[in-house]
Amino acid sequence: METWLQQLHRTFIAKGYWRLIPQGLRNTLLISLGALAIGIVIGTLIAVIKYFAADNGKLKPAAFLCDVYTTVIRGVPVMVLLMVLVYAIFAGTRNPLGVCILGFGINSGAYVAEIIRSGINSVDKGQMEAGRSLGLSSMQTMRKIILPQAVRVILPAIGNEMISLIKETSVAGYVGVFDLTSRGNQIRNLTYDAVNPLIAVAVIYLILVIGLTKLLSVLEGRLRAGVRHA
Amino acid sequence: MSDMREPLLRVENLHKSFEGLEVLKGISTDIQKGEVVCVIGPSGSGKSTFLRCLNLLEKPTAGHIWFDGVDLMAKGTDLNLHRQKMGMVFQQFNLFPHMNVLQNMTCAPLMLKKAAKDEAEKRALDLLGRVGLADRANAYPAQLSGGQKQRVAIVRALCMQPEVMLFDEPTSALDPEMVGEVLDVMKRLARDGMTMVVVTHEMGFAREVASRVVFLDDGVLQEEGTPAEIFGAPQNERLRSFLAKIL
Repeated sequence: METWLQQLHRTFIAKGYWRLIPQGLRNTLLISLGALAIGIVIGTLIAVIKYFAADNGKLKPAAFLCDVYTTVIRGVPVMVLLMVLVYAIFAGTRNPLGVCILGFGINSGAYVAEIIRSGINSVDKGQMEAGRSLGLSSMQTMRKIILPQAVRVILPAIGNEMISLIKETSVAGYVGVFDLTSRGNQIRNLTYDAVNPLIAVAVIYLILVIGLTKLLSVLEGRLRAGVRHA
Repeated sequence: MSDMREPLLRVENLHKSFEGLEVLKGISTDIQKGEVVCVIGPSGSGKSTFLRCLNLLEKPTAGHIWFDGVDLMAKGTDLNLHRQKMGMVFQQFNLFPHMNVLQNMTCAPLMLKKAAKDEAEKRALDLLGRVGLADRANAYPAQLSGGQKQRVAIVRALCMQPEVMLFDEPTSALDPEMVGEVLDVMKRLARDGMTMVVVTHEMGFAREVASRVVFLDDGVLQEEGTPAEIFGAPQNERLRSFLAKIL
């Protein structure tokens, strides 16, 4: 009977398959971080447009498009969205990783938009009025007065979104991107060891999420120290 | 012919409706440079709406507002530019909670490039000193009392070197023992010649400081005059019953 340590050695070390793990991890991180950046840009844009559209008729069509976007994206599984991008819109792409980042970013944007919108709405109306009364434009007030306060409110929700995002990227393998999960799967196929590659992959996701959670709580503490709510 | 000089603020036939409810029903008045105008009236009379229309925080439904001879409601008027010269103080202070006192005061002058950083900070610290808060420059709003917050809000507006200051019930959200310190700052401001429009329930302040008292009720300017006229010999029936209730 082979011991567990011998099993690990045979699966990961003997033929150097362990090297697939950091390669996959790299892609998982690239997709997560890239998608988060895209998601925050899209989400902020949508939230701000919808905020100003409330009393600016010219923005109504733009706000309508934003609603269509969030409705469609939130209503379609990210897996399907990815396949549409990789196999239809960007069919034959040489950069499935890039398309994948874009896809997860588009997906994340719809959720981040709602989070940021709730953050903006949580800031007292008087803040915008105070900014405008000093002669700041609505965009200047949004940037310097409203958004910095909204960020403090929504940080936990953004953290949740980041955690979901990291784990959602595990479907990237279905469109030919070798992320952490698909590399684990490869090792499983190569070694006929069904258990250990999956455990390794699961543990790495867990560590990523725990690390992220810690990072966020440090950040939250710092932001709160900045305001010092008595 | 000193009466012929251009008023700093001219309000003409100002109307404001909210979803069919007419709050202001055609108000006209001139405010001269250096005047301290107190606006009084029962709650719901439209006095706060009137004040908020002056810098177009509320967009009037009809009428005209001229500030420095410029029609603020005309298309193409750069409102932001004119608001820089119209300071406003709110009932709820509306300090920026994520900035300390000094940042609250200097953020607008700096963003609008009205002053260099050291110049803006020097003016802010000077103003803070004048309202007795020199030692609170680095405090955050949450660490201040209500009275201190409102004093900071006043000097934040002054930092933009406005030509007129609008006060929207500046002492109504304060604990009674803090009302005095805010009124003192406003009195000093009036003495220094600042043009002020003050919506207030502080009749003592209106009597002592106002150069003119305006009584609004039911969206109409019912009566205006010197404090002596308004409080001593009110003509309007509504004004008389209002004063009887509160004095």
